[in-house]
Amino acid sequence: MTPSDVLSRGISRENRTAVLLVGLCPAAAVSVRVIDSLWMSAGIFVVMLLSSFCTTLLARGRADDGEVTPRAAAGSWLAALVISSFLTGSFELVLLRAAPEASAALGIYAPLIAVNCLVLTVIDESSRALSPARAVLDAAGKGAVFAACLLLISVLREVLGAGTITLFPVSGFSGTIVIGSLSSDPARAFSFAGGGLLCLGYLAALVGAVKDRRP
Amino acid sequence: MSWVGLILVFSLVDNVILSRLLGISPRAGGAGSARAAVWLGVSTAVLMGFSALVGWVIDAVVLEPLRLGFLRTPAFVLSVAGLTYLLEAAAARISPLLVRTSGFSLPGVAVNCATIGIVLLTTRGGYTAAESLIAGLAAGLGFMLVRALLAAISERLEIERIPRALRGFPLELISAGLMAYAFMAFDRAFLARILGG
Repeated sequence: MTPSDVLSRGISRENRTAVLLVGLCPAAAVSVRVIDSLWMSAGIFVVMLLSSFCTTLLARGRADDGEVTPRAAAGSWLAALVISSFLTGSFELVLLRAAPEASAALGIYAPLIAVNCLVLTVIDESSRALSPARAVLDAAGKGAVFAACLLLISVLREVLGAGTITLFPVSGFSGTIVIGSLSSDPARAFSFAGGGLLCLGYLAALVGAVKDRRP
Repeated sequence: MSWVGLILVFSLVDNVILSRLLGISPRAGGAGSARAAVWLGVSTAVLMGFSALVGWVIDAVVLEPLRLGFLRTPAFVLSVAGLTYLLEAAAARISPLLVRTSGFSLPGVAVNCATIGIVLLTTRGGYTAAESLIAGLAAGLGFMLVRALLAAISERLEIERIPRALRGFPLELISAGLMAYAFMAFDRAFLARILGG
């Protein structure tokens, strides 16, 4: 398998639904504003990338007898948990220093990156089958898909629920794009938790329908 | 906050699935039957209660006095994983058949965002040890209630004609979304009025 094949695995048909489903917890919770989704995507991306790299490096020193015993599987899970939790803690510290508002907005969802199903699954799979470089490419592909899904959900929710798109403020731009009449009379239901669940449900159904139509 | 208020807030108002959107991952326990959902909910409630208590001890007794707050995330994650292992071992000793048939497993619950989410909420909320335990148990009860309701809805929908793409997890999410709107009736202000506080 070439590096490009490994990278595209994250974007391929086989993993798209899985990526959507396993990353649900943080995705649904922070998708009220686009900017929060971007920060969360960045956190997941960085933690997943570095964790994959570290666990793959550790796994290289392990004897490979072709059979995964229950003890080895438990050890692999524990290693994934330890590495991802320490890297998540580091990400939280960096975020708190660099962008305190973003840290406050993510709240309890930033520490939960450590136990995100997608992160742990990618780390676990990579450490068993891939070299460090390929593990990084695989994590990058899956991280990109996750970020795209989260961005799509958050744009939908913020545009319909508030009539705005909140991005990073730069000189001369406040960071908020106001969308015409939607901002004065938005469908506020999308801003609530139920709106997040509905968006995710219909998106999962859409992905399933597209998958079914493909030969 | 009174004890009744604490229980109502963590089980209904701030329901871990419908309000916090934690624990909706299929890996946290598939839809299954309503009975399986209740068993999963009971074990999760016990785990949440003890995790919240242990989280409080770790935070108040170890991390805060030693100024090791930056180690909160790894400490909480690993303590919950350890507690899950102990709970699983205890359950396997008490009733091996129940553990085998319920599908209760370490990876399934250890990575359940809901449990660690409750530990984070209680430690950040400034609750006492007893309040953390009650809040964790109440959150687990709320988790069990919603899981059982979703499983019952799934069972009813199995006999209906539903587009293939919507079957399974998408429909479970949509059901949860509609249920979340219904649960908004459990408002903090409303509860404060009926409880007189």
